Amino acid sequence: MMKVCDLPSPEIEWPTPAGKLRIRCGCTPDEIRGYTFDPQFGTYAQFRSLYTKRETLEKIADREGTNVVLALTEADHIIGFGVLDYPEPNERWTRLGPKRMMEVKAIEVCRDWRAAHIAKGILGMLLSHPLLEKMIVYMVGYSWTWDLDGTGKTAQEYRNLLLHLFSSHGFIEMQTNEPNICLKPENLFMARVGKKLSDEIIQEFKWLRFGVNP
Amino acid sequence: MRYPKECVLKECQEVVIRPLEGKDEPLLRRFFDEIPEENRWYMRYDVADSEVIKKWCEHIDSDTVESIIALCGDQIIGHCSLHVRGFGSTRHVGRFRIIIHPEFRLQRLGTWMTLDLIQLSMDKGLEILRTDLVVGPEDVAIDAVRKLDFVKRAEIKDYAKDSQGNRHNLAIMIKRLHRGWGDF
Repeated sequence: MMKVCDLPSPEIEWPTPAGKLRIRCGCTPDEIRGYTFDPQFGTYAQFRSLYTKRETLEKIADREGTNVVLALTEADHIIGFGVLDYPEPNERWTRLGPKRMMEVKAIEVCRDWRAAHIAKGILGMLLSHPLLEKMIVYMVGYSWTWDLDGTGKTAQEYRNLLLHLFSSHGFIEMQTNEPNICLKPENLFMARVGKKLSDEIIQEFKWLRFGVNP
Repeated sequence: MRYPKECVLKECQEVVIRPLEGKDEPLLRRFFDEIPEENRWYMRYDVADSEVIKKWCEHIDSDTVESIIALCGDQIIGHCSLHVRGFGSTRHVGRFRIIIHPEFRLQRLGTWMTLDLIQLSMDKGLEILRTDLVVGPEDVAIDAVRKLDFVKRAEIKDYAKDSQGNRHNLAIMIKRLHRGWGDF
C-alpha cells in the first residue's frame, strides 16, 4: 500500500554530538541485510530490546505496507530503529476496518546513542507518509518493556518522556479499556487521528476504545 | 496529565474528565443537591452546605487538594478529590474520595475516575494512595478499588455510624504506587 517512492524524501540527515546520522524510512529487507546491527540491542538484567537480531527487522520489512525506519551511522551501522505496522489480526483495533489503523510497534535507540533526540527523528520518518492522514496511528506503551535501568528513570518519568515525544507529533493520550493496557496504570495509549478521517470513523474509534457497540 | 480526558461508559454515554474550575460552582452545587442524603452522610465534608462548595471552587489552586469532575454534556456526574499533606511523615500519601451521581452508578465511571487519580498521584510522586470506606454501605466502592489493586490494610470495627445510628466497620484501602519493576 505505502511505497517509499511516494514519500517526499526517504532519508534525512540527523546531526548529533557524536557524529552525523542518516534516518532512512521504508527500508527493504535487502537494504537492511546490507547494514550491521548494533550489539547493544540485546538482553540486559531488566530489559530486553524489542528486536535483538537484524533478521527480525528484515522479516518485518517484508510485510506489505510496513514501514521500517533505521538510524544509521556513516558506516551503515544500525543504532536505532522504528516500526510502523498494521495491528495483529486478533487485536481489537482491526475491527475499525482493514487498513484503517497502524501501530508504532517499536522505537528504540541503542544505549550509547540515547539523549541525542534520535527517537524524534525516527518517529517523524515513521509518520512521513501522506496516506497516514487517512488513518489512525496509535502507540501502546507497556511499562514492562521500558529500559528504566538504562535510562535511570522511574516508570512515571519514562511515561512522561513518551508522552512528550509522541505529543510533539500530534498524538493524544486516550483512555481505553483494552485489558492489557489497563493492567498497569503507568501503561500508555496514544493515538494520532489523521486530518482526512471522517467524523464517523473517529466516533467508531471512540466506541472501539471502550469496547462498546451502540 | 492531559485533560480533558474522554471516556465512554457502559451504556455508551460520553463523559469528559477534567479538573474542577471556578466557574463550575453552580454545576457542582446541583450535583451535590442530587446526591442522596444516605450517601452524603459518609462524606468528609457537608456538601449540602453551600459555603463548602463555594470554598472548594474559590481555592482551586490549593497545593493540598485536587478536585476532578466528570461531565456528561454540561452536567457534573462525578466528583473526586485527592488530598495531600505536602509535609511531614505522610507527605508521600494521598487520600481520596469519589462520589458518582446516582443515575450514573455501576457504569464504570468510578473506575475511570480512580484510574485518573492513580495517574495524578504518580505524577505528583506519591507513593501510597489511601481511601477509607464504610463496610456495608460502600461495598461496591470497596470491590471496585480492590480490582485496581488496592488492598485492605486495616478494618476498624464499629468505627462509623449510619444515619440511623447503626455501627459499621471502616476499611482502610491502600495502593502502593511503584516507581519501577523488581529484579525478579
